[in-house]
This record gives sequence, C-alpha cells and structure tokens, in this order.
Amino acid sequence: MITDSAEPEYSPLLKTAAVSKSFGGLKALSDISFEVPKGIVQGLIGPNGAGKTTLFNVITGAYLPDSGSISFLGKEIRGKKLHQIVKMGIARTFQNVELFESMTVIENVMVGCHVRTRSGFWGAVSRIPKVLREEKMIRDRAEELLAFVGLEKESGKKSSDLPFGWQRLLEIARALASDPLLLLLDEPAAGLNAVETRQLGELLGKIRDLGITLVLVEHDMSLTMKISDNILVLDRGCILARGTPREIQSDEAVMSAYLGKSK
Amino acid sequence: MSIPKILIYGFFVTAVLLIGYFVENYYYLQVLTFIGINTLLALGLNMLMGYAGQISLGHGAFYGIGAYTTAILTVNYQFSPWLSLPCAILLAVTVAFLVGLPTLKLSGYYLGMGTLGFGMIAFIIFREWTSLTGGASGFVGIPSLEAGFISFSSARNYFFLVWAVVLINLIVCGRMIQSRMGRALRAIHDSEKAAMAVGINTMHLKLQIFVFSAAVGALAGFLYAHYISFISPGTFDFLASVRMVTMVVIGGMASIWGALLGAALLTLLPEWLHAFADFEMIVYGLIMMIVMILLPRGLTRGLLDLYEKAGEGTGKGHDN
Ligand SMILES: Nc1ncnc2c1ncn2[C@@H]1O[C@H](COP(=O)(O)OP(=O)(O)OP(=O)(O)O)[C@@H](O)[C@H]1O
Ligand SMILES: [Mg+2]
Repeated sequence: MITDSAEPEYSPLLKTAAVSKSFGGLKALSDISFEVPKGIVQGLIGPNGAGKTTLFNVITGAYLPDSGSISFLGKEIRGKKLHQIVKMGIARTFQNVELFESMTVIENVMVGCHVRTRSGFWGAVSRIPKVLREEKMIRDRAEELLAFVGLEKESGKKSSDLPFGWQRLLEIARALASDPLLLLLDEPAAGLNAVETRQLGELLGKIRDLGITLVLVEHDMSLTMKISDNILVLDRGCILARGTPREIQSDEAVMSAYLGKSK
Repeated sequence: MSIPKILIYGFFVTAVLLIGYFVENYYYLQVLTFIGINTLLALGLNMLMGYAGQISLGHGAFYGIGAYTTAILTVNYQFSPWLSLPCAILLAVTVAFLVGLPTLKLSGYYLGMGTLGFGMIAFIIFREWTSLTGGASGFVGIPSLEAGFISFSSARNYFFLVWAVVLINLIVCGRMIQSRMGRALRAIHDSEKAAMAVGINTMHLKLQIFVFSAAVGALAGFLYAHYISFISPGTFDFLASVRMVTMVVIGGMASIWGALLGAALLTLLPEWLHAFADFEMIVYGLIMMIVMILLPRGLTRGLLDLYEKAGEGTGKGHDN
C-alpha cells in the first residue's frame, strides 16, 4: 500500500462488504466481501448452487441483499434500482440466454443503448432532427458492436433464429451497448463447442483491452484459468478461496470441494 | 420482404376516401364511423396489452371520462368542444396516472385488478351522480362539432373526421413502435428480466403507456359523444371494457392493423347477431377462448402464419 507513492489512493471499482442473502432458510450468500480492481478479469467459480448467479443478482440490484454493502466507483449502490445501476456502468449477461426473441439481432443491441440515450414519447411521435440523429447514432453503435462480436452479417435476422453460440455473443454485444465499466458474465461458454469457446476467450480478451473490467462466472476451467487475473471460489454461499489461477489450482480445499477430486 | 409503409397508408387513405365518397346509406356510414371509434379504443389498449404486456379491465371508464367531460363542459358550461377536448384528455391522463402509479408498482396483474375496480367506480359515478351526468337516463343535447365553415353534423363529414383521427393514431402508434421507446416496450414484452437488466425503467414505461392508452380512450369518448349527441352510462360499463379487450385479442396483440380488424369484427358482430344481445358477454368469452386456443397470436398474425406455412408447403423458400 505504501510501496508506490506516485499511485493515487487505491480504490477498487467494485467492492462488496459482508453481503448476505437468504432465500427462506437457505443462505445463498453469507458475508461475502471481495474487491474487483479496475481493468482486471475476475474469475468467479464454485459448484452448482454456490451462489454465483445470486451474487450477480445482488450486485446489479435485481435482488436486495439482506445485509452488507456494495459500492461501485466508491459509491454505495445497495438499494438502488436496476436501471440506475446500469446507468452507473454495470452490465450483465444471463446464464440462460435472455434475448428479446421477437426482435431482430440489431434491435436487441439497440435496446442495449437505452441508458445512454434519451428520446421518449414526444420524440418518437415528432421525429424531430435531434431524435433522428440519436436514432442513427444508436443504429451505428449497434452495428459497430455487432461487428465487434462478429455478428454483423446477422443484423436483420430474428434473434431467436440465431444458433445458440451466436445468441451468447449477441447478449454480450447488447450488454456492451450500455457502455459498461464493469461487465458481469454468467457462464458465457455454457453450451458452446470447443471452437466457439476459444473464440469467446479471444473476444473476452478484446473486451478487457477496451478497459472494461470483467467478472466471469464459468465452469470451463481452462478458459477461466487462462483469462482470469484473479479468482474467487464460492461454495455454499461462502468464500472458499481466492487468489491467482495458479494458487487456486494448487489449493487443496478447492480441489476437493469444487473439482470433486478427493485426495 | 414487408410491404412498404407508404403503400399501406396509401391504400388505407384511398379506401377511406372511396368509402366515404360512395357510401350513401346513412346506416352504413354510421356503422363505419363506429368502427373508426372502436379502432381508436383498440389501438390505445393494444399498445398496453400487446406491447407493455399489461391488461386494463376498466378502459370503458376512460372512454366515459372523455364523453362525459366534453358533454358537461360544452352543455353546462358552454365550452367550445375544441377546448373541452384537451380538458377531457387531461382528466383521463391524470386519473390514469393516479390509478396506474400504485398498481404498476406491484408486479404481476395488479393493473388488471386495479382498473377493474376503477372501471366499476367510474360507472357508478356516471350513473349515480345524476345532477352532473344525467344519471341512468343519460345526458342529452351534446352539440355537434364544427371547424370554421365545415360542419361535422353530416354523417359523411363525421365519418371522414373519425377516420382522419384514426389515421393519425395509426401513424403515432407506428412511430412509437419504431422508436427507442417502442423498442423498450417490445423488450419488456419479450423478457422483462432482460429489459430491466439493460436498464429500462419498466414501471415508468408501463405507466406512460397506460396513460397514453387512457388518453386515446378519452379521445374516442369525445368523438363518440359529439357524434350521437346523447350518452348514457351503459355505453361505458364493464361489458364495454371487456369488448375492448376482446377487440385487441382478436386483432392480435402487438399489431396496430390488427386493432382495426378486431374493432371492425366486434362492431359488426352485434349488428349481425341481434339475437345474441343478451348473451354478448358469453359470446365474447367464447370468441376469446377460441382465438386463444387456435390462433394464440390473434387473427391477423394467425392468418399470416397460415399463409406463410402454405407458402413453405408449396416449396417457396423464404430467404431472410
Ligand atoms: N430466486 C430464488 N429463490 C429461491 N432460491 C434461490 C433463488 N435464486 C437462487 N436460489 C438458491 O440459491 C442457491 C444459489 O443459487 P445460484 O443460482 O446463485 O447458484 P450458482 O452458483 O449460480 O449455481 P449454478 O452453477 O448452478 O448456476 C441455490 O441453492 C438456489 O437454489
Ligand atoms: Mg448460476
């Protein structure tokens, strides 16, 4: 902490302090405290039911934690509405892809721009130049993001007609459309084949290079270990271990609890 | 792939002009005018049901608010109808806001229940506040509309007026759907969970659409009152609300042209089936059940799907 005095005072992008969440009698999260510094890829692993998705739901404001605090950019966000949190710069994808299925591929990404744009009812009806300009900006941005994830040729298709692997990419493009500082990815490789998983790894690298901080929930160990700077292991709502990929791989508790390899 | 919009609107305007010009029969013109008024009602509600995924079982009340407000202001207070129109809409919008805000805060179908109760209360007010509304015997002597040298007391002119308003509303709804707001609405319809996750304030948007649909309902009520010059509470009762919901369901939710079809069918049906008058509610219930089971996406969408299927069957490939 005192080694480098030129560095400004360290403050993590995201920080949770003793966050707990129960469902009935089940403690899905107990006293979770962790920090995500800006610019890293934070891996989040753990067996089924460990509470990974719940942690995402709590961070994004979908669930209110029972106790504890969550701060983003140094501000408390616990209790804020989802749309306020998205606007502050947190975006997410879902474990079970949640697209707007009746809408086209590009429209899905255009909806993603919602928090960065303004026009409403009167704008829609009047179509004044300002609104048309914004509409064009939204479309350009969506096209740019589709190209970024490699779906530019699919833009006019109905999103539900895309193969599953591409639906995952589309969901990432939609999340990027809100210009997030922090992107929470819930098992983005689930259901992908080996080639698609490798491409996803490259895409995540590109996203990190844009300066976007990633939290990656993933069961695909080789992907997680390769791309994460840091890994947090959850088990039954508690933090089991944390450290670099190398440390995690050699952690006995993790090995037995998570990887199911008994010594 | 899809027909250019300008062609569709061009066809619509031509049809209205031809019908208005050539139909001489007063009764037909009247039925066609009612179809227009009902289309407005269905259009507003369609945005709420089809796009925002919420149901209103009390929309008859907004129809009534539009009609009674203009009746009272023009007859009792000698307002110009063109001044009473914004008053009627403003009242409907305010009431919709007050009903919608608490009910939309709760997720699920609370708006349906809230509006059901509200519709009943409004109906009781229309019927019992005799000194203001004329009570069960109704309100007579509502003046016809005039704009400069054009008098809308002729059935033909009123037909044109109503359908011009319908056209404007079709355009408004069409533009809304193809906008940032419309995309957000459709997003809510597809997945509310994802809509919230991309930062759409779903409650705010639903409230806006509810208020919009109430305003369109009041506009329809205004046109209705100045057309037949006599209104009574029965026109705005629970059955009227159910009728509107049926129009939207038949027409196919989330389709602005479907609203027109649903309105046309439900305006014509009672004219054709006088014998069923006592069983109207049952007939609507049956129609809704049949449509929901056979063509869950409504008649318009259902027919289009059948058409597309037939196309595939004959080997016509479709390239997206
Ligand atoms: N809305 C909810 N209501 C009740 N219980 C819930 C709810 N959401 C999650 N849970 C429970 O909380 C626990 C943690 O679930 P969570 O989905 O966070 O696990 P996960 O780590 O994401 O697991 P997986 O790897 O299977 O996705 C589970 O036991 C789950 O059943
Ligand atoms: Mg999960």
